[in-house]
Amino acid sequence: MRKLMFVLAITVFVFSTALVGCAGGDRAMGTLQFHANGEDFVRQGFVSKDGWSINFDHVYINLADITAYQTDPPYDPHSGADVEGKVKVGLPKTYTVDLAEGGADAAPILVGEAKNAAAGHYNAISWKMVKASSGPANGYSLVIAGTAEKAGQSVDFDIKVDTEYGYSCGEFVGDERKGILREGSTADVEMTFHFDHIFGDADTPMDDELNLGAVGFEPFAGIAEGGRLDMDMAGCRTKLSAKDYQALVDILPTLGHVGEGHCHCH
Amino acid sequence: MNMNWRFVTPLFCLLILGLPIMLGLPMKAHAHGVVIEYTVDMAIEIVATYDNGEPMAGAQVVVYAPDDPSTPWLTGVCDDQGRFTFVPDASKPGTWDIQVRKAGHGGMVHIPIGEDTVATTGAGGYTVLQIALMAACVIWGFVGTGFYFSRRRA
Repeated sequence: MRKLMFVLAITVFVFSTALVGCAGGDRAMGTLQFHANGEDFVRQGFVSKDGWSINFDHVYINLADITAYQTDPPYDPHSGADVEGKVKVGLPKTYTVDLAEGGADAAPILVGEAKNAAAGHYNAISWKMVKASSGPANGYSLVIAGTAEKAGQSVDFDIKVDTEYGYSCGEFVGDERKGILREGSTADVEMTFHFDHIFGDADTPMDDELNLGAVGFEPFAGIAEGGRLDMDMAGCRTKLSAKDYQALVDILPTLGHVGEGHCHCH
Repeated sequence: MNMNWRFVTPLFCLLILGLPIMLGLPMKAHAHGVVIEYTVDMAIEIVATYDNGEPMAGAQVVVYAPDDPSTPWLTGVCDDQGRFTFVPDASKPGTWDIQVRKAGHGGMVHIPIGEDTVATTGAGGYTVLQIALMAACVIWGFVGTGFYFSRRRA
């Protein structure tokens, strides 16, 4: 009798362990890709609000803690809260991405992808911009390099930002809906960066908030020496006017978007 | 046999005119009649503004129904006050998503319609068989413990 009970107990234990271990094993999976996008402003260049034609050689941005979420109710960036999702998928490393890579018609930069991501709607994303510890952006979270031209003047610039930012965003807002991952398929989410916020945009009305808040390029051209500007934030604080430096400090946190959707920066 | 027509005529007219009303038949009114029909639907009105309160006049609106979140269910444009109104399909309960965009600015609002949003805290994805076996394990734990102590007393 004791032997029978012992065998029965072992059998029940083994079966139940196996079945519990298999729980969730039949969940629908797919591949979730994470893209970074500097938009046509970075890829093709643009004219600043004060008439400088700007083209970018490199826009290095250093990204960490990149995580996509399935949130219900959908995350509202205006809440200022951290994103909390019932399902989340992240990239494990820190990535230095050149948003200007690939030329005028290049696709957004693929930062990484997560295979075996649970199917569903990834309607929120968070990431950090942190100082790089190696590579072309070493010591900075953002390096903007290019050339600006206006009325025969030319300025080669490297603007280096060492401030770190964290972004919490809701769903991508744009021509297509992103983040809807179906079983066996691939979907993507996007971190979008609006560099017209720094320099302004000549194609947007001057009384638009975008241009009212933008620094423009004229202040940077004013502190260039011999057609060259190589400046970090400490240098900007010293050489820019207090008003222009404050405008730069205020506008940098607004770079991060999801398409046209705004994010909460912390 | 002569009928009193002074009496019959009004009675006949009353019957002719009143019968359709009693039978509930529709009547057509002529001359300067006005037909106003209505149906009761739940309309959704959104008002889109920029952060500074300025209306997003002429902004593009895309509405997604809960059963097909990838395909626009309706597209339209906000009026001068940033308003846009639509009547969702009541046969599609769930969260309706409305995206509003204009000149590089955009946002999304999510409106639950027709269902209670109750967080499910059920069995966490276990099958009936798994639950039964886990229950059996618990029961067997009690039985085994009983056997153990009964054997010690014996």
